[in-house]
Amino acid sequence: MTGVVGIARTHLVTNLRERVTLFWFLAFPLFLLTILTAIFGSLGTPNPTSLSVSLVNLEPRREGPADFAAVVEEAFAHLGASDTHGRDPLFHLRRPAIGEDPQEFLDRERDAVRIGDRALLIEIPAGFHQRLDAAIAGDGPGAEIRVYTSGGRISSDLARSIVDQVVAAVNGRILSAVGRFDPSRALTVERASIGSSGGDPLYIDFLLPGVVLMAFFTAGLFGVPGTILFGRERRILKRYWVTPLDSRRFLVGFSIGHLALCALQFAALLLLGRFAFGARVGFASPTAVGFLLLAAVVFLAFGFLISSVARTANAGMAIANVLNLPMMFLGGLFFPIGELPAVLRGIMFINPVTYLADGLRASLGVSAATVPFVTTIAVPLIWAGVCIAVASRRLRWDVER
Amino acid sequence: MSERETLRVTNLVKHYGSVHAVDGVSFSVAAQTVFTLLGPNGAGKTTTLEILEGIRRPDAGSIEAFGERRSRIDRAVKERMGVLLQDSQFEPYLKVREVIALFSSFFRRSLPLGEILDRVALREKESALVRTLSGGQRQRLAVGVALVNDPDLIFLDEPTTGLDPQARRTMWSLVSDLRRAGKTIILTTHYMEEAESLSDYVCIMDHGRIIAEGTPRGLASELGEETFIEFDGRGLSDAQLSALGSAGRVTGAGGELISLETTDLAGTMERLIAWSKRNDVALRDMTVRQPNLEDVFLSLTGRRLRD
Amino acid sequence: MTAYRALLHAEWRLFLRDKVSLSFTFLFPLLFILIFGSLMGGIGDADARIGIVAPGDDGHRLERIAAETGRIQPYPDRGGLEAALEGRRIDFGAIWDGDRLTFLYDSRRSQENYAFEEVARGIATRFDLDLQGVAPVVRTAVESVGGRGTTKWLNLVVPGILAFSTLSAGLFAVSGHVTGMKQRKLLDRMIVTPMPRVALLAAVITVRLAVVYLSTLITLVTAILVFRLEFDVHWLHYSLFIPAGTLGAMGLGTAIALVVRQPSSAGNIANAVSMIMMFLSGIYFPVEIMPALLRAVSRAMPLTYMADALRYATGVMDMSAARFWMTTGALFGFGVSVLPVLARYVVRADRR
Repeated sequence: MTGVVGIARTHLVTNLRERVTLFWFLAFPLFLLTILTAIFGSLGTPNPTSLSVSLVNLEPRREGPADFAAVVEEAFAHLGASDTHGRDPLFHLRRPAIGEDPQEFLDRERDAVRIGDRALLIEIPAGFHQRLDAAIAGDGPGAEIRVYTSGGRISSDLARSIVDQVVAAVNGRILSAVGRFDPSRALTVERASIGSSGGDPLYIDFLLPGVVLMAFFTAGLFGVPGTILFGRERRILKRYWVTPLDSRRFLVGFSIGHLALCALQFAALLLLGRFAFGARVGFASPTAVGFLLLAAVVFLAFGFLISSVARTANAGMAIANVLNLPMMFLGGLFFPIGELPAVLRGIMFINPVTYLADGLRASLGVSAATVPFVTTIAVPLIWAGVCIAVASRRLRWDVER
Repeated sequence: MSERETLRVTNLVKHYGSVHAVDGVSFSVAAQTVFTLLGPNGAGKTTTLEILEGIRRPDAGSIEAFGERRSRIDRAVKERMGVLLQDSQFEPYLKVREVIALFSSFFRRSLPLGEILDRVALREKESALVRTLSGGQRQRLAVGVALVNDPDLIFLDEPTTGLDPQARRTMWSLVSDLRRAGKTIILTTHYMEEAESLSDYVCIMDHGRIIAEGTPRGLASELGEETFIEFDGRGLSDAQLSALGSAGRVTGAGGELISLETTDLAGTMERLIAWSKRNDVALRDMTVRQPNLEDVFLSLTGRRLRD
Repeated sequence: MTAYRALLHAEWRLFLRDKVSLSFTFLFPLLFILIFGSLMGGIGDADARIGIVAPGDDGHRLERIAAETGRIQPYPDRGGLEAALEGRRIDFGAIWDGDRLTFLYDSRRSQENYAFEEVARGIATRFDLDLQGVAPVVRTAVESVGGRGTTKWLNLVVPGILAFSTLSAGLFAVSGHVTGMKQRKLLDRMIVTPMPRVALLAAVITVRLAVVYLSTLITLVTAILVFRLEFDVHWLHYSLFIPAGTLGAMGLGTAIALVVRQPSSAGNIANAVSMIMMFLSGIYFPVEIMPALLRAVSRAMPLTYMADALRYATGVMDMSAARFWMTTGALFGFGVSVLPVLARYVVRADRR
């Protein structure tokens, strides 16, 4: 294999030595994996965030066991206390200081909510008990907990949803206390899911294959045209053609080097995912390996296509930049695709990334396939075929005429 | 074709639309000599070379290399060729020895790394990345790579363009060493001194054609027994210069280099000195020389080699 | 013609001729909005679609209660429900068999499920009470203060993207454009003339400011037209912020250009920095859902403050006026104070 090994080694080594390539092909995927896991992996776990909330109880105290306003206040105060693990409480709760005028507190805090210094203000209004008693007796819509939110702030929305949950629990307690609700006959609620075998997958298990595909995609989209087009412009390639090395052998060596680079990306991401984030997904199955290989090859071919279409290196990079984000995000690499407008749906359907992501995840058992197995292989293969066909006819190895 | 001819080219043609880059070029290169294509930029030298190197297809013409007619420059020929391209680079992030090793792997036979490094004096730079090399060092590396397969035939396309005088001299001595080692070298240049001092045989090219060929001495001598007397013409008026016309053929105007061409050296010298005394002119920077290839080109085309 | 005007003409023409730069500046923000708006659009928008399998009278109760917080669709059996969930015709399902209430989710929609679970919890609680014949006696009444009452996620995203455009423009004006000129020895060529460096800088700044103002406006208008968004733009604030933000970003670009040895690396570093900032500044994922460490990091990013300021300037979100002007002033002040450094140390020949 004259020179094939040499070309493969050269391709791999030069990519690893150039800092820019190293960043985008290795460091960035690792970074992305970390960030996305940190952000979304914690969703749904207890206390993912801590919110600054104010509470004011305008209802005067009532003697006896039925001071439900106080019960409500206590329920919220409970959220403001650190839990047993010493983690940040869900609410950083502020209440009026002793001797402070509650109405003034209310007005001041409402303004604080408006400008974003607080996520939310909770008001237990005057007349709470009166309306509560009426509702218990069957008369009237019930007592209100007033909640002031800030328009346009996610923290407000999050806080509000937590308030809703507290109020729901409070309802149960009050109604039990007055004997209208029997907790022993409470509803049994269960949770089930479709789309995975054996328990809900962790987000990292869903994300890791996506980031691996992204890394392969970036390498193919940018790395391949980058090397070929810049190599052509700087006449690096031309120097090869005056030797017995022909373009076919060059391509074989180049492809091997590229696949080796992909393998390196995969290894790095797998190590990080497994040891830092506890990914459980196992890539050992032949189908999964097959998909990884298919993905690497498809993106390699795509890179060849771009190399054959762009006339200059800068044009090639520009094309890659334009295609990069749409294909990546509209392929379901990081987030499952929700409802999309028609145009974006169209892109999703022809995007090979969509099928590869679907097939890979299905073969790993992190989600059920939304597309038939055969299609997840066929469409990328067709893509690869078309790319290679076009590239083999159009790819110019020399800048000159 | 005998084995004493490494290469023979007949009626080579390459057109790009209406541009005749190579317009019916024929020559033969004797074995173990330095053969030079001399001409200004755009003469077609590089195009010719690239056809011979196998990276361009001629529109017409025939090539015989190493004793055989070749319809294309195939692998067998490339195994015996070494090439220095005019404008190419190596991968900037490879080390010097990696570049040499890479190219060695393309050939069936290759010389040991150490020998190549020594030949082009790059031993100390063995582990340096290509991007850290100076211009001269890169050129030496390129020559080294051209030699990995111990070729019989070496193409050097403008080997000293852009190099400083020191690096240029190093390159010239490399070429001489190679010739002494029995290689056949085809060289292109637009530097007259290079053609004169290195070559055994020169073909002067202009606008895609060979307009003259021969040994450097032979070409120059075709101009006849001319001698050139040159001096600095600063501060001289045209009137004064025209008075000089009787001494010999004058080229150059006031303020430039004045060239006096003559076949009668002694006589012209006398008249020149007399003229200088009469006009009270100091003859600055005066040289007396034999015709060179620059003069040959000028006489053939009316233009200078260096544009 | 003064040096400044001549340079201005040249800079303007160069920018227009660079098709790549042109498309990046004007098309990219639109692309971002399209993609991210569509992807994360589910947050807090339309009501969840709930599939219900609940025979009998109690089933009707469940349907009634669920309909209060979502759009319900009845199904005859679990199989049908699962198929609908698979096909994304519903967001989650509720199954009542007379004994227990089971909620069914698609585990692949991990980002959205936490919101659906919240809705499900509310349904479960009210259904629980209703089964024993009671209705809730306490409820929440929401009142929105400041900003626009109903804000879609996209309303938050757009100003964030405008902020990113502003940042990129300023950043790459120095660590990209000027350093590119330095790398190609163009600066050398100019500096050996009497050309005042300030004139060159002024020309670059003028063009960039004009371009970024134009492109953010186009992005905003397009977002309004295509996605039918509503904004309440405070034009004074907006028009003052954009130049201030660009200048501040140029200051950041200068910092990069000073630190980096090779001019060619400056562009790459700027690229990497802006990418990282993009993820950590609450533009695409709300800062509030990030863990504490990342939230702290986001507070160190200028882009976070720029995005908030623009959300204020476009009327999406409210903040204290003082905060807005402090942000604007800080950006402007930083940029302006760094200009002399830029002129002296960056706009110079690439020699040691």
